Amino acid sequence: MELGERTTLAGGLLTVAKDEAEGFFADAALRSVTLSVAAPGESVRIVKVLDAVEPRTKGPGGGGIFPGFVGPAEAQGKGTTHILRGAAVVVAGYLPRAQEAVIDMSGPAAELSPMAQTVNLVVEFEPADGAAWEDVDIALRLGSLRLAAHLAEAGLDVAADVVEEPLDPEAAAGMPRVAALTNLQTQGPFKDVFVHGRSFNGEQPMVIDPGDIDDGAVVSGQFGHPSLKNPTWVHQNHPVAAALRARHGVDLCFAGVVISPEPVAMATKEEISAAAARVCAEAGFDAVIVTKEGGGNADADMALAMDALEGLGITAVGLFAEMSGLDGTGPPIVVPPERAIAMVSTGNYDHRLTLPAVDRAYGGERVALVDRPATDEMELPTAVIYCALSCLGWGRLRALA
Amino acid sequence: MKVVHYINQFFAGVGGEDSAASGPASAPEPKGPGRKLAGLLGPTHQIVATVWCGDDYAVANEGAVDEILALIQAAEPDLVVAGPAFTSGRYGLACARVVAAATAAGIPAIAAMHPDNPGLDEAGTAPVVASGEVARSMGASLDTLAGAAKTMLLGVDLTGDDGRIGRLPRRSVFDERNAATRAVNLVLARLAGDREATEIPLPRFDQVTPAAPIADPSLVTVAFVTEGGLVPDANPGGLESARATRWLRYPIGDLPGLEAGEWRSVHGGFSTVAANADPNRILPLDAARQLEGEGRIGALMAEYFVTTGNGTSVANARRFGVEWAADIRRSGARAAILTST
Repeated sequence: MELGERTTLAGGLLTVAKDEAEGFFADAALRSVTLSVAAPGESVRIVKVLDAVEPRTKGPGGGGIFPGFVGPAEAQGKGTTHILRGAAVVVAGYLPRAQEAVIDMSGPAAELSPMAQTVNLVVEFEPADGAAWEDVDIALRLGSLRLAAHLAEAGLDVAADVVEEPLDPEAAAGMPRVAALTNLQTQGPFKDVFVHGRSFNGEQPMVIDPGDIDDGAVVSGQFGHPSLKNPTWVHQNHPVAAALRARHGVDLCFAGVVISPEPVAMATKEEISAAAARVCAEAGFDAVIVTKEGGGNADADMALAMDALEGLGITAVGLFAEMSGLDGTGPPIVVPPERAIAMVSTGNYDHRLTLPAVDRAYGGERVALVDRPATDEMELPTAVIYCALSCLGWGRLRALA
Repeated sequence: MKVVHYINQFFAGVGGEDSAASGPASAPEPKGPGRKLAGLLGPTHQIVATVWCGDDYAVANEGAVDEILALIQAAEPDLVVAGPAFTSGRYGLACARVVAAATAAGIPAIAAMHPDNPGLDEAGTAPVVASGEVARSMGASLDTLAGAAKTMLLGVDLTGDDGRIGRLPRRSVFDERNAATRAVNLVLARLAGDREATEIPLPRFDQVTPAAPIADPSLVTVAFVTEGGLVPDANPGGLESARATRWLRYPIGDLPGLEAGEWRSVHGGFSTVAANADPNRILPLDAARQLEGEGRIGALMAEYFVTTGNGTSVANARRFGVEWAADIRRSGARAAILTST
């Protein structure tokens, strides 16, 4: 990837027209944006990371991609989707309630983050004087999604390196029907997730076409818990859906995805978890892989849903990040299920690692958590590394006694 | 080989609960349960010193563990043995911190306590063996501790067979497959009939028996504790917004309520706008003062305690609880109101 005059894709090199790209962020809430390129292996740190988006389009003008934001708020998942795999639009900078999130493009933290494997178009920003932070957030989300769709258009006329075909339902006839229950964090501004352009806060669990998720039906506006967040890029590449697709027709049938909110009040958590399990039962699932977004509070939604599923005779497996303290001797899970016991570990939140000094940094001058210059050597908990404990199962990290 | 025994002031014979605030001291001989322990360790090992400390002092004073460690190091031991602490929370915490600090300083160390003791999570990588619930089980508890200590002095790692309890440290490692793929494998294993398979053993949480109700609240002093991250506006103590490793105390003795603008919640787990607009909604000082004025509670403690309950490890949270209890007890308050967010 490089910045240039015209947006083109040739020989695997994406050239991004700088002025045109910045134009997607023309908004009363933003004074300016700055674009930079950060590639894997470079001595670069990105701090205060907000969302990350994979460039995708379904045709000129987006063709319906990112429904509710770029395209109309209609379910997608049909037809052809063009993907610039290996590229990402990454927004970085201060927003209130956003917790410090770090990506290192090289060094020991690089292996932990999906956004250290992609060539990133980093978007830094200056809010306009007096702009409400909520409006800054909205402008950044719209801008990054439009930019991602626009970048993918450069690939419309380029022959694909890889073509993936939709699954054949018949290929898995008679095999166990396995699905994903994907909890979305819904805690208001800066901690919210959008479905078809609308906040999923207050919604009910629902079946969603995994192809619709591929096309950007689920967009993240959730900036808490950096290691435990699911940015838009991870939803677009839903790791559990990918793992189930890989086994479809081999030893299981990928039966679908249910999305469910993570409400705040305990009574609502119980109600929503029970409702999610009923949706899974009505859809005829034999087994469900449950995932979350966020910290210990979100463990409760997982545990309740897993127990509710097992109570309905549906096998439940949950992906949990462990919070077992600095030396790994504390109880790993804050709210464990009572009936379900099958849990996959995505690593210990509290494990610390030392990041080397880097040549340059984007997103801010300092790392808020340790109050050090962003380019310094620093010791950080895994909790701060962007998607390091990926709740949706992207990573290979786990904890082991 | 040379052994140093750590116990509390009560077992050292230096006063009861009223002496819990006394500082560390040592003597070049076994004391209290150490006399029986010395016999069980046999002729090849010698308790060269006993170090003791009041539990409140050991738990509530920053630096107490360093003072205790200095006394231990002065005796140049091959092994530190702490306890048995039974189910005593403060004593267990002190024993755990002492063995954790000794281990970190390169001295092998072992503690004994009941599996429900909150100190168990604070021993770090030092081994802990099981003791009974109360001092009545001292004999059997010392048998286990002495056996495990002798095994350690041979340089052998302890296992469950030696009475070792607590969680083995869980390390972060890279698996060959990502978590989503492993989840699919786990589903298939479970569908194939393996009902036990998991990557995470279920944690065991203790059940807390609530204290007896207060007969007459108008006679007691009440403490305020919150995990809502509410601190003076400048956050002078630097309380963390998440993954708190400490708690802080601030005076409220002369305040009728909490003024907006003077207090701020640094909690990173919820929108703090409403909390900051009226800090009394995190720490309901206004309502408490009213009750105090009406004589329905005796008085409020002059300070409140605060931490941030957002991604806080259970081990830290348990430690905070033990420290709060010790501090509140010492202050004379007999009830506490904990507000959560």
